Amino acid sequence: MKNLFSEFKNFRPKRREIPLDNIITSKEKVMQTLIKSYNKLVEQEAKELVWLVSYHSVIRAYASAEKSIKNMEYGVEDIEEFLFEIEDSSKLPYPIMGLSGIYTAALCNHAKEREIVFDLRNRNITLHLLGYRLPEGKKLLVYGDLGDFTGIGLNGGEIWVEGNTGNWTGAGMKRGKMVIKKNVGRRTGEDMVGGEIYVEGKILGIGNIRYGRVYEKGEIVSL
Amino acid sequence: MKNSLKNIYDFISDHLYFYRPDLEISGEKYNSTLLFSLLTAILQGKQLIVGEPGLGKTTSAEYICSVFYQIPLGTIWLSEIAGHPEQTEEKIVGRPNLGLLNKGIESVVWSNFVQLPVKIVDEINRLPETKQSIILDGVDRGNWEYLNEMFINDEYCLFATANYQDLGTFTIIAPMLDRFDVMVESKHPGANISYLIGPFYKKDELLRHERYEKELNKLLNSRLPYKTKMERTEKVCEKFGKYLKKKGLKPVSKEERKAIQDQMEKLELDLDANAYLRTLISELSFCYKYGQKRANEKCEEGCHFTGYLCHSIKNCISNRFPISIRVYAQALAWLLGEKQVNIEHIKTVAPYALSHRLQWKEEFVATHEKEVRVDPLPIYLAKVAVDRVLERYGEQRESIKEALAIGYSVSQGEEIALLEGDHPIYWEIKRDLGEL
Repeated sequence: MKNLFSEFKNFRPKRREIPLDNIITSKEKVMQTLIKSYNKLVEQEAKELVWLVSYHSVIRAYASAEKSIKNMEYGVEDIEEFLFEIEDSSKLPYPIMGLSGIYTAALCNHAKEREIVFDLRNRNITLHLLGYRLPEGKKLLVYGDLGDFTGIGLNGGEIWVEGNTGNWTGAGMKRGKMVIKKNVGRRTGEDMVGGEIYVEGKILGIGNIRYGRVYEKGEIVSL
Repeated sequence: MKNSLKNIYDFISDHLYFYRPDLEISGEKYNSTLLFSLLTAILQGKQLIVGEPGLGKTTSAEYICSVFYQIPLGTIWLSEIAGHPEQTEEKIVGRPNLGLLNKGIESVVWSNFVQLPVKIVDEINRLPETKQSIILDGVDRGNWEYLNEMFINDEYCLFATANYQDLGTFTIIAPMLDRFDVMVESKHPGANISYLIGPFYKKDELLRHERYEKELNKLLNSRLPYKTKMERTEKVCEKFGKYLKKKGLKPVSKEERKAIQDQMEKLELDLDANAYLRTLISELSFCYKYGQKRANEKCEEGCHFTGYLCHSIKNCISNRFPISIRVYAQALAWLLGEKQVNIEHIKTVAPYALSHRLQWKEEFVATHEKEVRVDPLPIYLAKVAVDRVLERYGEQRESIKEALAIGYSVSQGEEIALLEGDHPIYWEIKRDLGEL
């Protein structure tokens, strides 16, 4: 008997393309670029897998991060996805939180979107240095806790944290506004030269403030 | 040759059968009755034309037959059978030669209906169900039997007309319906075209020729052997063809008819047309529970295949359906000048090849009968069904073709897993390969 399907002998199916596949592929490509650039930053800045925070090391690391993300096409969802990748050590071999924060800060500062929202609740991640040099016109809203040096060198942007922040919050900030819904650590507002920090919980310690204002539960504490 | 057919189509639409186009293929508009009648005449098919009285069911068939086979209208009228309860086998098929019978010799005088290659049964549903069986075999194979003699047509096409149900009509029996390749409706042309028909009331004269009609009648009533009779008949037809040529028509000779049929037969279905037709047939015949559809078996409550056509029909589609759809799609593709039969040709022909063959369940009819439409309900329902299957095929065309390709490899002995899918076609492939 003739093969019932002989007309289909030479049929080769076309690769099925659905829009979602293209989106996923494009997102994966962006993520690979972000991870590659982050790993390069870690290799440059972290000697023997240690990165010490100092005035100069932060400036240098930020400059490197800015350079590596130049001309890169990404969006807020990609930054959020990157934060998930940081949590997964199998994909990122050296998740150093200080550098992660600096790198994320650079991504936020150069993102196309004006408002950036991160949900870090129930996440196994503590980001330091987030909000570094956040420029005017940008707003960063974080659900969950942030680590040390949150919003340092704030440059006119606005940071809302629906949680706690660590030590040196708002250190060296120039302009802008920070609102922390829970508690902040020691040296809050150290060397700040402008702007306002509103803390709705407790402040463990105030730093040496030059200019600018710090409020605790609505009361000014920076005088 | 394509031009000859288009010339016939245009001539009839300009002079004889006035209509509104109701079909669009490859950007061109056609009238379904006229187009399918032309294809039926070329293919030697069988066509049922339904419609209200006086809307050109019989005349459209007569015109097509007359022009295409070069037979004067008067001869066609003489060979027609009219359906009525008193109709007899002797009037339809043949009768004993009474002169010879008196001498003790049994011989049959075949009717003109049997002898001519064009056969028209007017108002077939006025033939009682029992008498419809008289023409069943003849309609199917062109074999006519009377006494101990048999008459076989080597070339024939058949048109039957039917009015919608009234007091004088009977049901057309299912085996008879299944023997028709296609069913079309001869529609009202609309007020404006209808108004223009008035001045054309003598249009039949165009296809009449008294002398040739007499010659043909004499030949058909002669006792010449069939072959000789047909050869001489053909010669008279050719003369009538020349007469038609003077009227602006380019008739088609018997040799050309044969050549056209050969060319049509050679047109292959492309892969999509092939896979879509298999998909359609699978929905019209598949039953997971009982192996196939059967008119006397009901679908199980909560069947997994509720969304497919098998759940909306009562009966199983016959094997005549794929033959009808294939040859008509080939003819259509040929007429449109295509090199292959594509899915559009199949989609166009399918509702007309399906509408009379399907028995829909009440729920399906109730869902659609009140919808806005231009076609009679059976054709409309078939169009809905064909579109639905096309939609499903469109969603998984690559998978279905891949499943069929894998089916080929497995048949050749390769050990690869068959493609899994929800559609009945995947299950049918598994069954064919003994995996169910």
